[in-house]
Amino acid sequence: MTAQTLAAGYRRFILGRMVILGGLGLAVVLAFALDVATGPSGIRLAELLKSADDPALAVILWDIRLPQATMAVLVGAALALAGAEMQTTLNNSLASPFTLGLTNAATLGAACAIVFDLALPGLPVLWSVPALAFCFALGATLLVNVLARSQGAGADTVVLFGIAMVFVMNALLWLVQYVASADAVQQIVFWTMGSLTRSSWEKVALVGLVLALSLPLSLRQVWAMTTLRGGEDHARSFGIGVERLRLVVLVRVSLLAAAAVSFVGTIGFIGLVGPHLARLVVGEDHRFYLPGAALAGALVMSLASTASKSLVPGLVLPVGIVTALVGIPLFMALLLGQRRRS
Amino acid sequence: MSLYLDRIGVAYGRRPVLTGLTAAALHPGMLVGLLGANGAGKSTLLRALAGLLPAHGRAILDGTDLFTASGAHRLRQVGYLPQTLPQASPLLAYESVLAALRATRPDLRDATAQAAIQGIFDRLGIAELALRRMGQLSGGQRQMVGLAQVLVRQPRLLLLDEPTSALDLRWQLAVLENVAGQVHRDGAIALIAIHDINLAARFCHRLLVLGQGAVLAQGPPAQALTPDLLNHAYGIDGRVEACSQGFPLVLADRAATISADRRL
Repeated sequence: MTAQTLAAGYRRFILGRMVILGGLGLAVVLAFALDVATGPSGIRLAELLKSADDPALAVILWDIRLPQATMAVLVGAALALAGAEMQTTLNNSLASPFTLGLTNAATLGAACAIVFDLALPGLPVLWSVPALAFCFALGATLLVNVLARSQGAGADTVVLFGIAMVFVMNALLWLVQYVASADAVQQIVFWTMGSLTRSSWEKVALVGLVLALSLPLSLRQVWAMTTLRGGEDHARSFGIGVERLRLVVLVRVSLLAAAAVSFVGTIGFIGLVGPHLARLVVGEDHRFYLPGAALAGALVMSLASTASKSLVPGLVLPVGIVTALVGIPLFMALLLGQRRRS
Repeated sequence: MSLYLDRIGVAYGRRPVLTGLTAAALHPGMLVGLLGANGAGKSTLLRALAGLLPAHGRAILDGTDLFTASGAHRLRQVGYLPQTLPQASPLLAYESVLAALRATRPDLRDATAQAAIQGIFDRLGIAELALRRMGQLSGGQRQMVGLAQVLVRQPRLLLLDEPTSALDLRWQLAVLENVAGQVHRDGAIALIAIHDINLAARFCHRLLVLGQGAVLAQGPPAQALTPDLLNHAYGIDGRVEACSQGFPLVLADRAATISADRRL
């Protein structure tokens, strides 16, 4: 292969990846439209758009369907972006925002708010559950980071502290559930299933803001993270401060994932599947991989949101259940298909 | 631009590995073979020079002490190839080299970076691998990509830790010929940790044989390699003969009784 054909070959690769990213973006837009067009009331999008004068339809469109559909896209993108960065920095393709016990901490925070009627001063009561979930999630990951830093911040150390955090948070959650009333336990269980029905424009704005702040910071480190895929030794030899990079990324990822799960509850599958789907279609050059993961996460979450409203007519299933039941077989099929091809 | 290694000491915790290592000046264009038994400190010396291990003493390159220089300065001057192979990942080989170049030279223009990458794949004879995923390459092929990641940056000091360990005979020769060519062209210096003494004797202008935390012998291969040194450094009974092309050829006859201080 001559230098010219090599350059042309690589340009074709780049072009192919940009086309794939464009296709993913288009698919997200279509999935979003489908999500908005679907609802338990059975009212079609065309009717909603034509009946702007009807306050009831306007409420359905502007206060229910649009915020939920937007939240699905944002949460999917945030969780998948967080998962992609974690998988790279922890050098572990099974890593996701759950690895550090973040979701378990968020659940504990939500449970405390529900069972003990805790609220943060200055915040409306309605916000107490997501606010405490967020604080607990952030606190847990900061604790993991501090402990990991004290031990040298190796990938294995971070994962070990994360696993320890998962068990501690679960034990505390069981303790809270043990002393809770039956009603409160039911609320906690529903929260852990993950649901988009709690969405509102304020919450959408907050998640969107965190995502908008995180994505550019992630993209600034694409070369360092791509280098890290060659192994820590090699990354260090190129002047990458691996431990520092890992801690910076983990803090950013924690913010992203905490913002997402505190508003919609536990949605575990997206942080794992988004990165894997992106890896399948655009590889691991992080210039394409990170946006690809965010788009793949947004797409899967958006489709899951639509499915959650369509599987049982007139009923909205918790989206966390749908992502697992529908998404995992699809994901396995994709992975096995790729293995057969290679 | 010479390299001076002066009383270099490196320890892992309380265990000293190098204690006052000093070498004669190493000059531009030189390939320097680092020899020595397992645990003699070859990799340790390279890692310390690359700034990956704390060290004392001085390593003066072009008037600057590498041990006290800023990370950015060292990165411009020094290229280090670790002993471990680049990980098998879904990255294309081309992207691995591109990322290494971008991580160290973010200021480089796209066209310049592309030309440099194409050039190094061509020179190393691995252009066929460029658009394949690292996970699809053999260990030896990944080692070649790792070498490309270092050579593409054209550093003044090349630190190569066993760059031929996963390669067959043809590629071992190709690698050392390439490194020699680049060192000669750029006026650089290459320090190469290597276990194959005969390969080192064939290509290196100078050998540094390490043992007991210091330099046991140094100089051109024909001078440095002696039966006594083989016994002292490696614990073997061996001969040093001249091959038909005039290079020294080491023939290992048998392992000598290993003294307690040389056990692994």
